[in-house]
Amino acid sequence: MTSRRTWLPNWLTSEHPLPWLFPVTSLLLVFGLYPVLYSLWLSFFKRNPATRIEKFEPSWNWSKLLADDRVWDAVQVTFTYAGIALFLQLALGMAIALLLDSDKRGFGVLRALMTLPLVVPPAVTGMMFLLMYDSSFGVISNSLYALNILSPENPILGTGSTALWGVIVADVWQWTPFMVLIMLAGLRALPREPFEAASIDGASSFQSFIFLTLPMMSKIIALAVLIRGIDLFRIYDYVKVMTDSGPGTATETLTAYAGTVYFKSANFPYASAVALATLLLVLVTSTIFIKLFKVRF
Amino acid sequence: MNSSTLTSLLRYTVSILIVCVFIFPIAWFALTSIKPISAVFNKDRVVVFDFEPTFENYEVTVLGGKKADTSQGASIGMGTSGAGAYDGRGSILSSLIIAVCSTALATVISLLAAYALSRMRFRGSQGYMQWILSQRFLPPIAIIIPLVFIFRDLGLRDTHLGLIIAHTLINIPIALLILKSFFDDVPLEVDQAAMIDGATRFQCFYLIVLPMIKGGIAATAVLCFIFSWTEFILSVFLTNSIRTVPVKITTFVTSTGSEWGYISALGTAAIIPGFIFILLVQNHLVRGLTMGAIKD
Repeated sequence: MTSRRTWLPNWLTSEHPLPWLFPVTSLLLVFGLYPVLYSLWLSFFKRNPATRIEKFEPSWNWSKLLADDRVWDAVQVTFTYAGIALFLQLALGMAIALLLDSDKRGFGVLRALMTLPLVVPPAVTGMMFLLMYDSSFGVISNSLYALNILSPENPILGTGSTALWGVIVADVWQWTPFMVLIMLAGLRALPREPFEAASIDGASSFQSFIFLTLPMMSKIIALAVLIRGIDLFRIYDYVKVMTDSGPGTATETLTAYAGTVYFKSANFPYASAVALATLLLVLVTSTIFIKLFKVRF
Repeated sequence: MNSSTLTSLLRYTVSILIVCVFIFPIAWFALTSIKPISAVFNKDRVVVFDFEPTFENYEVTVLGGKKADTSQGASIGMGTSGAGAYDGRGSILSSLIIAVCSTALATVISLLAAYALSRMRFRGSQGYMQWILSQRFLPPIAIIIPLVFIFRDLGLRDTHLGLIIAHTLINIPIALLILKSFFDDVPLEVDQAAMIDGATRFQCFYLIVLPMIKGGIAATAVLCFIFSWTEFILSVFLTNSIRTVPVKITTFVTSTGSEWGYISALGTAAIIPGFIFILLVQNHLVRGLTMGAIKD
């Protein structure tokens, strides 16, 4: 270093990482880490709903959580929702990416149009689908009536067996473009030579997709599944807007249940425990996934 | 016609059809926003194009006009909420203030941290990156309940500043990781040459490297803006009277029915800034969505 004289100690100058990292770190510690610890602390209190007095009793909410059938139902709904949505988005995303991966005229415009669903606020997406699902004037409902797939007595979002599918369709509509974009980037980065060699050796395009494209894109696919999967586990907007967990608790995910406990019974300690259970679920699932598929950022 | 032109034609057709399927919900929503009430709430059939277009819904929700006299149309689903309940101007302003400020704050402080993480070797830098990444995956619900209490104690509950901080918080990990990937694209020799010439680290950052990644910074800012503009759960929990646009729209669904005309008008208006922005950053979209993991 040149002989620059300054009265400041080294760790306060721009030569040291500390001043650079300080604003981000302090904000994340105060509003990111501290709330999680606060949440944990809160979950150790037993709330008396009548007197609204909270008493320190660490195991109360956590044993209640494990014995709460609604929690287990919510875990099941969360996994079903995330699993189905992820599979559909991945399969559709890959298929559409293969279709749109062309240098011919017009495909650039189609690819750009395909990204538009991504900027619609999820709450507005929920509204769009509510409008189309409406049992009397909804365009999707009426089309399904006409095809005899559905009857007006069983509205899509008002029937236990179809409500979750209704929400999943909205999610798939909004986030398949995310998969398409990532898959397209992966396809564009593939080397040409292996495909030329395979085609000379007489491989069909299906064979080269299975034995060349998929293995070469496995890292990118794993990354896309991780990012999307974690977002699916935290699902809130669509459920809140479209069904508010109903009918009954047919579409109640873990996040939605935490919200219900918070808003409807004001039992903050228990709501914190349920919210932390969501965090735990995300952490465990994503850690297993990262280890299993060796995902790297 | 030989088989290859046929395949090519088929590919065009299927591609256009699929893109149409993905555009349809937006188009339908936009179409609904210019329908008169009688066409939206037609119980006998779905009205597609045969209606008199009207901009009344936009006048009420975006321009703050008076709510139309309900007696003239089929008044199905018309609530009796007070005047101004459907005026979205305040929400648009709030959303703009919050999105612009949180974008600026997140981008500026993430730039500093991203530069250090890209350029300096120090103990724990790997762990620090992991921590930032884990913040991206933190479910908002896990911090919302304590944030409500913390914000109440600090007087930030139901304020613009509170939501600006909350949105900055969710945007930092994303902005930091993307910006670091842009800094990583600039060769280290650039910094070394500047420092040999006597520049301090900060001068090197501000005068040399920053101008080199202008495009990347713009893309990052656009993505942060979109994330803040579309955010829902934090806004629901942390505010009551200040309502961002997505939250405001959900209040148009009442127990007496949904005001689909107003919902679709404000909803369509809420989509437009995102459309413009996303078309501007097409080149960096994948990098942004994967937080710098995939460069295109």
